[in-house]
Amino acid sequence: MTVRPAEQRLRRLLVMLPWLMERGEVPVREVAERFDLSEQDVVGDLELAAMCGLPPFVDELIDVFIDEGMIVVGVPRLFTRPLRLNSVEAFELLAAARAAMELPGADPDGALARGLAKLARALGEDDTAGVKIELDKPELVDRLATAATAHEQLRIDYVGADRDEATTRRIVPRQVFTDRGEWYVSADDDRSGEVRTFRVDRITALDPTGARVAPSDAPLPAPGAWFDDESVRRAVLHLSPAAHWVVERFPVDTVEGPDAAGWSRVTLPVASEQWLVRTMLRLGPEAELVEPADLRGVVAAAAGRVLARYRRS
Amino acid sequence: MAERVERLTNLLALLLETPQPLSLVEIAGEMTGQYPESQTARRAAFERDKAALREIGVPIEQEIVPGGEYAGQTRYWIDRERYELRDLDLAEDEARALQVAMAATRPGSTSGQEALWKLGAGVLDHSAPVAAVLPDAPGLPVLREAVAGRTSVRFRYRDVERTVDPWGLLLRDGFWYVIGFDHGRSEQRTYRIDRIEDSVDAVAGSSFERPAGFDPRAAFPEDPKLIGATETVPVARVRIDTERARAAVRDLDEERVLWRGDDGAVEVEVPCANLPAFRSWLLGFAEHAEVIEPADVRAHVVAWLEAVAG
Repeated sequence: MTVRPAEQRLRRLLVMLPWLMERGEVPVREVAERFDLSEQDVVGDLELAAMCGLPPFVDELIDVFIDEGMIVVGVPRLFTRPLRLNSVEAFELLAAARAAMELPGADPDGALARGLAKLARALGEDDTAGVKIELDKPELVDRLATAATAHEQLRIDYVGADRDEATTRRIVPRQVFTDRGEWYVSADDDRSGEVRTFRVDRITALDPTGARVAPSDAPLPAPGAWFDDESVRRAVLHLSPAAHWVVERFPVDTVEGPDAAGWSRVTLPVASEQWLVRTMLRLGPEAELVEPADLRGVVAAAAGRVLARYRRS
Repeated sequence: MAERVERLTNLLALLLETPQPLSLVEIAGEMTGQYPESQTARRAAFERDKAALREIGVPIEQEIVPGGEYAGQTRYWIDRERYELRDLDLAEDEARALQVAMAATRPGSTSGQEALWKLGAGVLDHSAPVAAVLPDAPGLPVLREAVAGRTSVRFRYRDVERTVDPWGLLLRDGFWYVIGFDHGRSEQRTYRIDRIEDSVDAVAGSSFERPAGFDPRAAFPEDPKLIGATETVPVARVRIDTERARAAVRDLDEERVLWRGDDGAVEVEVPCANLPAFRSWLLGFAEHAEVIEPADVRAHVVAWLEAVAG
């Protein structure tokens, strides 16, 4: 039996007991799997619960015996209901359910919507204005999500971060996810023979090959882990006081200044090149892109494209 | 002496079952041999247990006896109503759906797993085909409770202590915001939750009314609908290309659409009194949007872009 802190054991008992009492008879193995414990730990904790009790209030907490790998529970006494949700658990559930309702394929009348409605009512959410989640998705996201579920192979044209020309590759999407406002697809990629993560807005064309391919068992990268990654490109911006909102809106590594004129120097991770270009357009003369120098031309070119539109009409 | 987990379990059972509040002396008396004999050691052990139970979420009530022989003595009990999770009456597929939702948005969350167990759902699996990374911030759970319970909160933000009536929370572009009424400023404000310094505390006994029809999306400062505050402000006519039209119209509402092309492009009417906010919104579309009129706003945007294009 592994050594586990008393609080953790009690916490687990308080969810395990109500579940067992409702079922009456359950194989030890099933309980162990469900509550992420070893079989020895399950047996040890239940034996301990059976020993607890305080006459005359409570003779025994739970009437339980374990025989040939089966747990048999007698008349329920105490702990027939789980402990209420604490504020963190309540938030986790509500946020997870609301976010999942924004994901591709969510059914507005499905089981999740019904479960969420019951949960929200129990948590005192009298409308949906209290907690809102936006996951704005490009149109290809739905298509990629369907492919990931159906193991469809797709042919895509993809413009990588460091090149201008698109490459054509065949991929089997495995996971579609969003992080910090951008969407990605992790897929088995025939060009590299590995699992690769592609930014959805860099896919310029997409067609099914008609094949269904079993996904590989290569591990997927954990969504979200990449952002803190040192290898993610950084930008250095010189910001006027009017542009200081950037520090409020986006994650930044460091802020230096402001100098006598009120300008500050900010280092921040570049979620995507497109994001950086859009942000620089919005900042206009209020900001200067110090690094990466090679993107200065990209920003100027983007401004030129918008201008061309105004000069045309 | 009994194992600690056994003593904790017994203490919990005793406080749940007792018909009247119990003092520490009475508790130790009922739990024979489980607490140390010495008064100081007993108090220390009990305080540790009480803290452990509260830590896992057990609401332990306490009162101080006001008068009589035991005046000043503290007595403890657990109110079963406050202890037990109300039955959500979840169908099996609904509990399963919440489990899938958690796996897709909060994989590896221990609190999320605890919550699912309480609802009768099983173990999180970690490979959802469609997923979202929900950013974390320590203030979120307290803020959520305050929004639902209409309680004011106190927190530090940019070195200023603030008291805010939280009207709603919004996750936009990967960040959580709280939108509400700032008492110190006497106006509506928006704060990024991960930038809150230290903790968020509910103000005991406070309450507020949320404005009718409040929607955090509409109240967000950069929302084009709120650019310009009154009815008489100038509006701009903006053309948005097919690629971005659908998302833009969804944010703006149908009624702002003036024209709709066969290819899905639209022309919309957007207040532009607050020029920096309007410009920022417009340039977020890069070359996919163009302000048609008024002419002075158009000229301003062109000059702005020329400064960037060099």
